[in-house]
Amino acid sequence: MSTKHSKAAEKFLKNKAQAQWHNETLWMVREKRDKISKEVPEWEQLRHKSQDIKRYTNSHLAELLVQFEENATKNGAIVHWAKDDEEYREIVYKILKNHKVERFIKSKSMLSEECGLNPFLIEKGIDVVESDLGERILQFMDLPPSHIVLPAIHIKREQVGEVFEEKLGTEKGNSDPTYLTHAARKSLRDNFLHAQAAMTGCNFAVASTGDVVVCTNEGNADMGTSCPTLNIAALGLEKIVPNLESLGVFTRLLARSATGQPITTYTSHYRNPRQGGEYHIIIVDNGRSELLADADHVDLLNCLRCGACMNTCPVYRRSGGYSYTYFIPGPIGVNLSMAKDPRKYSDNVSACSLCLSCSQVCPSRIDLGEQIYKWRQKLDSVGKASKEKKVISGGLKFVIERPKLFNFALKCAPIVNVTPRFMKYNGLNDWGKGRELPEFAKESFNTMWKKNKIQGEVKR
Amino acid sequence: MKIGLFIPCYVNAIYPNVGVASYKLLTSLGLDVDYPLDQTCCGQPMANAGFEGEALKVAERFDQQFAKYDYVVGPSASCVSFVKENHPHILEKEGHECHSAKKIYDICDFIHDVVKPKSLPAKFPHKVSIHNSCHGVRELGLSTASELNMPYKNKLRDLLELVGDIEIVEPKHIDECCGFGGMFAIEEEAVSTQMGIDKVKDHMSTGATYITGPDSSCLMHMQGVIKRDKFPIQIIHIVEILASGL
Amino acid sequence: MSSRESILESIKKHTKAKHEMPSLEIINPLTYADNIQAFCDMEKIVGGTAHVLKQGEDIDQVIKTYFPDAKRIGSVLPFIKCATYNPNEVEKVQDLNGTDVAVVQGKIGVAENAAVWVSQELETYKAIYFIAEALVVLVDRNEIKTNMHEAYAWLEKHDYKFGAFISGPSKTADIEQALVFGAHGARQVLVILT
Repeated sequence: MSTKHSKAAEKFLKNKAQAQWHNETLWMVREKRDKISKEVPEWEQLRHKSQDIKRYTNSHLAELLVQFEENATKNGAIVHWAKDDEEYREIVYKILKNHKVERFIKSKSMLSEECGLNPFLIEKGIDVVESDLGERILQFMDLPPSHIVLPAIHIKREQVGEVFEEKLGTEKGNSDPTYLTHAARKSLRDNFLHAQAAMTGCNFAVASTGDVVVCTNEGNADMGTSCPTLNIAALGLEKIVPNLESLGVFTRLLARSATGQPITTYTSHYRNPRQGGEYHIIIVDNGRSELLADADHVDLLNCLRCGACMNTCPVYRRSGGYSYTYFIPGPIGVNLSMAKDPRKYSDNVSACSLCLSCSQVCPSRIDLGEQIYKWRQKLDSVGKASKEKKVISGGLKFVIERPKLFNFALKCAPIVNVTPRFMKYNGLNDWGKGRELPEFAKESFNTMWKKNKIQGEVKR
Repeated sequence: MKIGLFIPCYVNAIYPNVGVASYKLLTSLGLDVDYPLDQTCCGQPMANAGFEGEALKVAERFDQQFAKYDYVVGPSASCVSFVKENHPHILEKEGHECHSAKKIYDICDFIHDVVKPKSLPAKFPHKVSIHNSCHGVRELGLSTASELNMPYKNKLRDLLELVGDIEIVEPKHIDECCGFGGMFAIEEEAVSTQMGIDKVKDHMSTGATYITGPDSSCLMHMQGVIKRDKFPIQIIHIVEILASGL
Repeated sequence: MSSRESILESIKKHTKAKHEMPSLEIINPLTYADNIQAFCDMEKIVGGTAHVLKQGEDIDQVIKTYFPDAKRIGSVLPFIKCATYNPNEVEKVQDLNGTDVAVVQGKIGVAENAAVWVSQELETYKAIYFIAEALVVLVDRNEIKTNMHEAYAWLEKHDYKFGAFISGPSKTADIEQALVFGAHGARQVLVILT
């Protein structure tokens, strides 16, 4: 009984030191989040407000998007609409082509990962540079992010040292994070100065003002958009917020949840195009509008992309981002992948012990764990239920629906206790690989009760 | 008030003494306790694996078995929360109303919130580390979830404080999952085992000689780890401590 | 049908239960006995420095004290005498590179997170907020808001082309979660409360 996730996780755990580091480091991030959230007495109120504002916006998207478009257009921006990933890529490419852009700088955008933007543009001959340090490291290594906020959390400093030595000419054997970060600063400064166009993601799009709000710690989005006068921002359509006032709630939750900071270093509001330049905003659907109709899962659109559910998830921490088959891992990734294509991504739903920590940590109160339980119920109807699990469940059902049979099974069960070890602990028994099997009692509670052993002992 | 004792399948088969202790504890508190015969299982194992529909018949049977009682009380937070959270919508699909969900309690929750004893005759001269199990914490509220910014309360600790000579501690990752999760333990064997090892080590780092909690399923999982790796710590269900000396 | 129409159509078709916009009033929010003190404490936590200007203290002198080795100091503020050049007067934006210290006027500060709101009014190039090795932001000490709710209430009433809340120096922990200042923007931030 296994899934692509469980197999990849087993492999991840084979490198014990690295797996332990991954687990402990992400737990440390969760602890930072715990500490700072507990310094804000109104924290739980904020989480409720966030959920309520998101539920409002996601049930009034059409009006709010049109309002956003009106205001952004008034501000001088050019607004595009993309139905799907292909249209999104084409829009970006067309803008770049019209301006004969060869050197293109990007800040982190999970939407561009979702839509496969970089490979598409590189194929077309455009030099795409990722400017977030983690993303830059991964771009050099030709790897995707393994976490949505800490994209290179799975990479060791020595690996960064090696790849920077090759790509940036840093000193051999020097893997000091400060040294390497400043080497990247120097190299990317050059890219910032000479890029012909810049693109950012979008954390919040403000309907009442047309602002696009971008949050970073590094300042890479800001540096990127500072030299070229051609700027592009792209947003999934659920990024809309009604007004600036509501940002009071979100900006207080986002960084505290993500990294345990009181706010990201930069919270930048883009309103007008650069002087003499153009500002393009691309609103992307790519399946989001259809999710609105799914009452069980529509709240997934409440996600702020803080990554807190990954940091708390005991399974994610011990299996790493690459063990999931979707580009977003962890509890939110399991859910989003199933919302995208349950047949294709069913391997991810095993990655959950239903501990429900993710639901409690989520700043928008998305019931992530409960939703994974619901996806599991749907696996059978899409033909993706595990055959073995189905057999076991069916067998269990057969027994527990028949008390006599159940009692008979209880009587026979102790035989397992005296079964030779080689029969109990073999390759077929996944429980027994790392754990001893429980021992059945000589007499079950049912039997003891019937023999009046329990009642008899107690003096009334 | 009439109480129907709910004994989940693995308590029935593996830890019947937890059931015995539950019965003793409740009766010692002056309660009228009965055990509806031939209980099997609440259906959680199938449902968590994705076959909720297969729990329909047992959910129906469960509701009938406990129809005549004022309270349903069981020594398993996870099973109790499954009945509470999921039996209603499982039965609703067939047009049945679930009565058990409204009157079912985890035994600790019941003693703490309904019976409210001022003292217990129990003595347990050991250092015990509380296993705040996921569903007990995040569905039943036996303790405040560590993710929330709310004053920390722990009903298990409150009850254990009534026990003589006991020393109570909690692990650093105060309510992290032990990795059981039903069929998760088999399907995600490697992660599940690692979670179990990490959790047991966390309990051991408190210096405790016992891990105690309201869920035999979690304790069973950790016991599997303890036995395999020969860790110097034991498991005991919280009811067995509360009923010690009875 | 254009993509715009088909997306809006799809949204309307798929939207089910409507939810109301909640009240954004927060009951008993975190407040500070002294917003200025709270801001200064928080500035330290986010890796920057706050300096409360004393009676008769000279801003230029303060900047010189913090950055004694700065050679190229850019500011469009006419009263910053230590500035060696006016960033609006460079030939092209790239010429701002190599600025040791940029001095700009912030509008408000926020006590809960040491963010200062900097908006592009006087500066031709917003690059100056990010490109300098060190950033000095002047903020009126009477304009320290308690939290982001107050800050955004203020922002609702003020226009801007581009603006940013800046909380401390640029930072990253992308290599093994080791905190490093000066990822891309300013390596140091000094907020002078005037």
